[in-house]
Amino acid sequence: MRRALVLLLLAFAPAPVVAQASQFGVRGLGMPGRPISARAAGAGGAFAIFDPQSSLNPAAIGGLAALTAGFDALQDFRHVENPAGSASLRDTRFPHLDVAGPIGKRPGVVGLSFSNYTARDFTLATSDTLTIRDVPVPVSDTLQSRGDLSDLRAAGAYRLGNDWVLGGAFHVITGSTRLSSRRTFADSSYRPARQRSELSYAGIGFSLGMVRHFGQALSVAATIRSDGNVKVDRDSARVARIDLPYTFGLGLRWRPRPKLDLAGQAVLRTWSGANSDLIAQGGLGADNTLEVAVGGEYTPDLRRPGRRPLRFGLRYGTLPFPVTAGQQPHELGVSLGSGLRFAQDRAGIDLGLEHVWRSAGEFSERSFLVNVGVTVRP
Amino acid sequence: MSALRTAGAAALLAGLLTACQERLTAPADCPALCPGGSAQVFDTIVPALAGLDSSFTGYVGRGAGPALLASNDFAASDDRTVYQFASLSDSVRVRDTLRSYTLDSAAIALTLVARDTNVNGLRVYLYRLPPTVDSTITFEGLAPLLAAPALIDSIPVPDSVNSGSIRSVLRGADVARLGLSPGGDSVLAIGVAIAADAPTGIRVGSIAGGSAATFTSFVTVDVPDTGSIRNQSLVRSSVFNTFVTREPLVPADSVLTVGGEPSSRALIRFGLPDAFLDSALIVRATLELVPARPIVGLPTDPAILDTRALLADLGAKSPVARAEVPTEAPFVVLDTLQAVQTDTVRVEITRILQLWQSTRSRPQAIFLKLVPEAATFSRAVFGSTRTPAIGGPRLRITYQRSFPFQSP
Repeated sequence: MRRALVLLLLAFAPAPVVAQASQFGVRGLGMPGRPISARAAGAGGAFAIFDPQSSLNPAAIGGLAALTAGFDALQDFRHVENPAGSASLRDTRFPHLDVAGPIGKRPGVVGLSFSNYTARDFTLATSDTLTIRDVPVPVSDTLQSRGDLSDLRAAGAYRLGNDWVLGGAFHVITGSTRLSSRRTFADSSYRPARQRSELSYAGIGFSLGMVRHFGQALSVAATIRSDGNVKVDRDSARVARIDLPYTFGLGLRWRPRPKLDLAGQAVLRTWSGANSDLIAQGGLGADNTLEVAVGGEYTPDLRRPGRRPLRFGLRYGTLPFPVTAGQQPHELGVSLGSGLRFAQDRAGIDLGLEHVWRSAGEFSERSFLVNVGVTVRP
Repeated sequence: MSALRTAGAAALLAGLLTACQERLTAPADCPALCPGGSAQVFDTIVPALAGLDSSFTGYVGRGAGPALLASNDFAASDDRTVYQFASLSDSVRVRDTLRSYTLDSAAIALTLVARDTNVNGLRVYLYRLPPTVDSTITFEGLAPLLAAPALIDSIPVPDSVNSGSIRSVLRGADVARLGLSPGGDSVLAIGVAIAADAPTGIRVGSIAGGSAATFTSFVTVDVPDTGSIRNQSLVRSSVFNTFVTREPLVPADSVLTVGGEPSSRALIRFGLPDAFLDSALIVRATLELVPARPIVGLPTDPAILDTRALLADLGAKSPVARAEVPTEAPFVVLDTLQAVQTDTVRVEITRILQLWQSTRSRPQAIFLKLVPEAATFSRAVFGSTRTPAIGGPRLRITYQRSFPFQSP
């Protein structure tokens, strides 16, 4: 119990928890995060709804047999193209933390997780020439945003026999983004102009989930989540209340052979509920999103399933916040992954590599994501 | 424990693999991509508060500045310089005994502070003046005294010399040109005039500047059999100096006078509304002053317009920002005037307006002066709010409104 407490404290020590940045996170609430572990990411997220270390389905933690903590890091290398030019960018993020474990010898499992909900990390640089005092003056503008919305989840799951696992979770959605605008003038007679603003967010949500096993070879999982709305304060003054989406997820897992595990899942989020709120704030609105992922895991050695399994996956999804009116961004990703368990399966490391293409009209980016996850079972 | 160590090593490896490094700056096509759009820039003119701009005179008196003026029909002004040296006794004390001496030679040294390096053939003329000369002397009173009978010497200044000491040495019979009294104490006073290939002016050292002229007498003391103490030099510093101007600047209430002798300073008040100061992001603020007449200065030695924020508005005696105080230095603006300034004078005072934005306890007012005070050929007269025909002082402010950060 004491070790579990220490682990819990370590897992939730202050740390930036944000997902990858993207030019498709400039609008609305930002780039939606994927509350999945590096292990699930290696298979394109296809197993996420069954994965106890992902935060998609509260019932999934019912699969844990021991106290488990996980920590994921994500390195993003991406190449951005838009009408203003192109650039190669990179950033490092820590998108997911989790700790969960069974309650004594009861068939219940509880857990906490901290994952990214949306990320608004971006820096946009532009240049222009303004006519000031009847003289053309070149200017350089930088608009920067740092911060995100995080999802703190307290979840519980209960196993009903060998076939059913039911789960529920309470979510606290919180975070802030620090915005700054800076303009410099080529003419030094003009002083640089810098302005700042801070947005803070607060909301709560609930989710329910289930996993149904049909023998050893087939499982079905489903989840539903309601996030209500998020209150937005700008510099401590309430400026908006934005509806957050309902989430519906359905997954299928099939083991055609002992060494091969296949899965697929679809997740629908009703982001269009935020459309009118965002337009009222001067934004471009929001659209519903659908993410479909398929993938698999091949286990070379069944006696040591944690030793270098091969994971692979493919996913396609739409993104909720258009960067230009009427063009919903979408993304396609292919991924590979593996992992290693050691110290009598008390610790492990998972690696996921994903290549993602995102586009919307003239805006596009290619991203190479390196997911590294560390799992500890004290 | 082994598991934890292994996990720690794995976490360290993960940390190394994903070493924190960020490059997030992407090009953007704004306002299409930028949430909130682009910041708009505006330009506005704010006139000074009507009737609350004024000049005050008497800060630095004629001759009390760091330099004195001499010129010959120079367009800025026609000036002559006056020095009066400490009295020279007819005896010196040697071994507690006053002894007479014989004046063998004498030297008068002046400090050339500045000249127009474009004008060649500069020659400085030294004239003997009555020892009673004082601050009441005028140009008209002095000019007749600077005539050939009173000429002591002329000093040719090489064209290559722009500043430094220039010196006249009188020997033998020439010493008599000093007109020193044969008995009793003697007071030497001199007038300085110049000539050159073209009308020009020079600035020479003053008592206030620590560089006033000196008068040195080389004497032989009547002390038999004393060797080295027989020959002495007696140095007399200036005890009074001034300069006179043919047409001195007379401040008028209707305009803003800056400079002159005694020096004038101008106080200009503005009244920017709180709503503007609260909402505008000022990127440039320019004080615009319209000269009522051309401001002529000495080429290659321009005057500086000194603009300072007021710390409190107490009229002529208002405390102003000090350049030597680091926290106040940004609110002191020095701007060099052109040799001939006929166009509007523009001074960038953005930081001063930002001071007004940051604290409302500071008055929206500025003080102007010309430096060096009472020691420059430039004398500025600007239009005031009472002279609409000329144009009063005004601020030209370029600003941005608050950036419309989209939320979200």
